[in-house]
Amino acid sequence: MAMKLNVNGKPVEVDVPADTPLLWVLREEVGLTGTKFGCGKALCGACTVHVDGAAKRSCVTAVGDVAELPIVTIEGLPEGDVLHPVQEAWIAENVPQCGYCQCGQIMSAVALLRTKPQPTDEDIDAYMSANLCRCGTYPRIRKAIHRAAEAIAAKAGGK
Amino acid sequence: MNRRTFLKATGGALTLAVTVGCGGNSNAHRIQHADATGELLASLYITIKPDGRVALTVNKAEIGQGVTTAYTTIVAEELDVAIDHVDTAYADSHNEMRDTFGMQITGGSQSTAQGFGALRHGAAAAREMLVGAAAQQWGVAASTCSVRDGRVVSGDKSAGFGELTKAAARMNVPAHPQPKARKDYTLVGKRNDRVDARAKATGTATFGIDFVHPHAVNAFVIHGPRYGAEPKRVTGEAAAKSRPGVIDVLSLPFGVVVVANKFWQARAAAGDLNVEWSDGDVKGLDTDAMQKAMREYKDGTPEVIDKGHAKRAIAGAAKQVEAIYEAPYLAHAPMEPNNATVFVDGNHAEVWAPTQSPTITQAMVGHAVGIPPQNVTVHVLLAGGGFGRRAIADACAQAALVSKAVKKPVKLTWTRESDMTQAFYRPPYAVAARGGVDAEGSITGVTMECISQSIPLSSKPMMAGAIPPGIPAPIAGMFVDALMAMFRSSSIPDMFSTEGMANTKYQFASYHVGATPVQTKLPVATWRSVGNSVTGFVMESFVDELAHAAGKDPFVFRRKHLPMNNTKQARVLDALEKLSNWQPGNQKAGSIARGMARHFSFETEVGEVAEVEIVDNRIKVRRVFCVVDCGLAVNPDVVKAQMEGGILFGLSAALDQEITLVDGVVQQTNFDTHPPLRMFETPEIIVQVLDSPDEPTGVGEPGLPPIAPAVANAIFALTGKRLRRMPLQRALNEGGAA
Repeated sequence: MAMKLNVNGKPVEVDVPADTPLLWVLREEVGLTGTKFGCGKALCGACTVHVDGAAKRSCVTAVGDVAELPIVTIEGLPEGDVLHPVQEAWIAENVPQCGYCQCGQIMSAVALLRTKPQPTDEDIDAYMSANLCRCGTYPRIRKAIHRAAEAIAAKAGGK
Repeated sequence: MNRRTFLKATGGALTLAVTVGCGGNSNAHRIQHADATGELLASLYITIKPDGRVALTVNKAEIGQGVTTAYTTIVAEELDVAIDHVDTAYADSHNEMRDTFGMQITGGSQSTAQGFGALRHGAAAAREMLVGAAAQQWGVAASTCSVRDGRVVSGDKSAGFGELTKAAARMNVPAHPQPKARKDYTLVGKRNDRVDARAKATGTATFGIDFVHPHAVNAFVIHGPRYGAEPKRVTGEAAAKSRPGVIDVLSLPFGVVVVANKFWQARAAAGDLNVEWSDGDVKGLDTDAMQKAMREYKDGTPEVIDKGHAKRAIAGAAKQVEAIYEAPYLAHAPMEPNNATVFVDGNHAEVWAPTQSPTITQAMVGHAVGIPPQNVTVHVLLAGGGFGRRAIADACAQAALVSKAVKKPVKLTWTRESDMTQAFYRPPYAVAARGGVDAEGSITGVTMECISQSIPLSSKPMMAGAIPPGIPAPIAGMFVDALMAMFRSSSIPDMFSTEGMANTKYQFASYHVGATPVQTKLPVATWRSVGNSVTGFVMESFVDELAHAAGKDPFVFRRKHLPMNNTKQARVLDALEKLSNWQPGNQKAGSIARGMARHFSFETEVGEVAEVEIVDNRIKVRRVFCVVDCGLAVNPDVVKAQMEGGILFGLSAALDQEITLVDGVVQQTNFDTHPPLRMFETPEIIVQVLDSPDEPTGVGEPGLPPIAPAVANAIFALTGKRLRRMPLQRALNEGGAA
């Protein structure tokens, strides 16, 4: 069925069955491949996107259920050429190894910092444990989230 | 001669041929190319562009290990340009680039160890040609010229690399290029940003699964319940084919394939199909029974090492220790599921894949569709994890068969469930260890009887891949068959099964290692650190048992039996003791206990101390100290990341992961049943990368082997129980050994 989506602030028209997972609509219909397929069962978080500001596993989200809502993917995170502070922190801490899970990790981290701008290690562990990484970048992800939290706070304080 | 071959012996065990200079490029060709394009083909891997930028061909797969960053750093250092002045591309399949084990392959933690020699000599040669060209143009001695920021400078004269390419092409390739001395390094040995971090943090990095061929159709595979099962009868095809976008439903030997315009269309249509399967290759295979048979195996095992009279020395020792260690099948489970895009066009094929080996891909694709491997061109894409899994090109071979059937380019993507149940697993092991210590607390002898499934017997495609190009197929086939027969009869020892054990750094007074290969039709393959993933656990757990029997501190006992004269072993033990503030005789404090282990693999020594607590019967690893001597660390932060990664990959396996089969059916299907460690159970990890005088050695794998024994030894210090079987949590649940 034809439906209108709002992806990264832009309207997109797609014609797919309403039960198609958002992940595959983003990857195959919209052409945004930063959102990754990892498990297909919301076990790994590689497919994490924001729907109406909240982190969602797009591999188990039917596109028909989110047609009216703003969807943000990793490609929509920077403002123009300026990367999101979480992305900058990821680069500064040399977080990625293979990098496959990192878009999902970053989308989760951004969602975490929205609700907990100054998270403790425990907050980070509790929230980020839904995202798997086989390369073992967790210690750096923790550091990068703290770094991003500081950067965001400094920016807000400077305004 | 414009080509030089450097032979480098590593560990006395294998010889690598490393080509520098202008492989394949004669002087005439180089000049012609420079005149036509303005490019200097300085070596097989390094091109100076007319704008002065450096183009580097990386002949390795980036699987997260940081090879792109390491190679870029080495080349930037020798050419005195900034790291971001170097652009990289991954090498396609190329006969002159088969520089590792006779193949193009990323494995054995070889990339930096090997590239360091080849690339810095190649870059040094390029630099000397550019300097020579400038000196000639200016009529000055080359010795008056220096290079900085991509320019050659002499007095008040200065020229960018791009201005010198045509003249430099006319210079002779130096036979003995002089790379910089280590003391002059400004980039190598320093922490630099990973060159791939930005693309990977913005979603712009293109992994295999992201590759879009403009004319490709998508394929979804339904695999059978058992490895090797073939579809016998398919129903529901009409319904599947009536769905939008569906092009065809194919029954092929490896499964039923739905071909559609989009992956999700194929995936959805697969739900309409019912398939009856043949029994396949492994019906009846039961891992509990197999493990029991391996554990109880008593016959003599073919000998790998026999030094002194170990059995006699143990029998006569003051104290004797006996133990059996076990390890299960494991899946690699990289985050990116297996996938490939292939176009078979008549007698040729083109492949785009996240592969660790273009050569094995050529062999497997060629074999699958009946064309010569040389007719297969492979383009290497970023891999979402490798860990050894992507040395096997099974998805490429499947995509090739589908492409041949539909006569179009095909992108084939597996589900996680196929990735887990159709894997090439880490082999299972049972090792019977015996040892004796004398009254002074020295080891009198050790015997190890190692029984494991043989990787070589499972690796016919890899063997075929290693055959040099140009050998006629029938002769190559006979050679591979003969090789397999020799492995089967143990005429050639399995080089993987006892690595880390047969070549241990321990200097036991007497030592015997036997190895019995087991063959099943369930395929096994190299899994991060390969044999060391088990032999590290066995050796370091058993040495800990012997130390306990001898009443010695684990550090003291190890020093007594390892070479301590200015060795990597000595440096790591000293640094680890200090870093962890090890207290001899005091391994337990409150609810937490410490264990240590060290292992030498891929020419690198790593030592680790684990701090472990058991809470509600759950093993919690709280903190890990790690010291590594990998020779010169090209980028110490990438080395540190690889230690963190090796520890966490190893900890997932040590604590929880195993692949089990019941009547040939793999019981684990996704990350819920083959669980990797998650962040809430990730210990604090403190890594020290030693400033080592040696040349670079392996990094991707050596961090892994010590973690399982360090944890098991800590559990012994905590509870008095030896856990001798991985995964350790299951062994603890089942009681362990007192």
